[in-house]
Amino acid sequence: MPDIANKYTEAELVALLKERQQQAFSYLYDNYSGALYSVVLSIMPDREMANDVLQEVFIKIWRQIEMYDATKGRLFTWMMNITRNASIDMVRSKGFNNNQQNRELTEAVYDSVGTVSTNIDKIGLRKLVFKLKEEYRSLVELAYFQGYTQDEISKMLDIPLGTVKTRLRAALIQLREIIKP
Amino acid sequence: MDVNAYIESGIIETYVLGLASAEEAAELEALAVQYPGIKQAVDAFASLIQSNISEDGITPPAELKQQIMDALEDEFEEPKMVIIPAETPVPVSQPAKVVQITTPGAWRYIAVAASILLVVSAGFNYFYYDKYSSVSNDYEALLNNQKTLQAYQTKYNSLQQTVNIFQDSAMHVVKMGGVKGREGDVATVYWDTRTKDVYVYVNKLPQAPTGKQYQLWAIVDGKPVDAGLIGDCDGVCKMKNIPTAQMFAVTLEKEGGSQQPTFDQMYVAGKI
Repeated sequence: MPDIANKYTEAELVALLKERQQQAFSYLYDNYSGALYSVVLSIMPDREMANDVLQEVFIKIWRQIEMYDATKGRLFTWMMNITRNASIDMVRSKGFNNNQQNRELTEAVYDSVGTVSTNIDKIGLRKLVFKLKEEYRSLVELAYFQGYTQDEISKMLDIPLGTVKTRLRAALIQLREIIKP
Repeated sequence: MDVNAYIESGIIETYVLGLASAEEAAELEALAVQYPGIKQAVDAFASLIQSNISEDGITPPAELKQQIMDALEDEFEEPKMVIIPAETPVPVSQPAKVVQITTPGAWRYIAVAASILLVVSAGFNYFYYDKYSSVSNDYEALLNNQKTLQAYQTKYNSLQQTVNIFQDSAMHVVKMGGVKGREGDVATVYWDTRTKDVYVYVNKLPQAPTGKQYQLWAIVDGKPVDAGLIGDCDGVCKMKNIPTAQMFAVTLEKEGGSQQPTFDQMYVAGKI
């Protein structure tokens, strides 16, 4: 077996995960947990709950690796979407989003009872939202970080669906331009 | 279709970030197969996002990894030579996996895995059959060696016995010379003076014709007494016990011996 210190290609890693190899999982965790944790924290700022989400995410990745289709995209993209969905589910199940909807969308959030929480504005994609045009920020917040469908947003903001779609796409193009090296 | 316009429409980013509707995603996946440029754009944006997020990743609490490893402890497999363990049971307690196995994609993987497993298994069969044959052959060879060794052992024992008899000073040696007309023939009787056991050693006698056998006689007070048949023996043949005799002689008799010697078939004889 290859040494754990080896760098796996994505294909090798996926193959070994499908073989249910512990060291492949360990490698996956070591190499991706930081990035995925920041995805969780950009949506669920409570550290303790974020830990639960991250655990759930890695277990999901492990158990659903057979469903990952490399022809459709990168492993990270697949894992990132699992992470985003799991985080949004957690937020919704804990009723977090009601509180969040009432605050300034990109405001720093501190846990009201004073437990360890994260300034989510500095994390992952969220830190980039500041740099977006004003009219795009709330759209990205609602769509990406809170997981509303474009149809829901259209009703929520009373904007035609076509406009929501066009603006969201424009917002994401701007996002791409911001992160382009 | 204007591929560039499509790529620049923002659908790529929407798709990668998981914000596309099911229809939009299906359309993009179909187009990506058809237009490599679309696939490239998807990969490029995905890699951009990955490096951006990975750059300022946040290390989770150290104990979390162990916690997750513990939770999955029973699901890790020993390292295998097979690519995908097709026979790995899908735990029924995990609904997600049950769903997964019903998708055509999963069946395809399982089918591929099963085929690979079959081929590997066939390989092992051949390998082990080969091993088995080789071990079986080795065993046969050892068995033959063992038989040969046993034969040598028997031969050695009888030769050792012959040597012992030759060296035994208590043996009375009676040399039997060829009778008239058979001057070259010689046989020797070794007569144990303690036990009265008789041994005979054929120094030189013609090969007994088929259906005939040499027979040793002891002449006791002028009468012939059967002292036994000379069969196939290495070196010295043990004959009957003869308490007393004045002479020994060898005649050629019908196979199985005779009650009385055929004197005109006497080959060798010697007085004590």
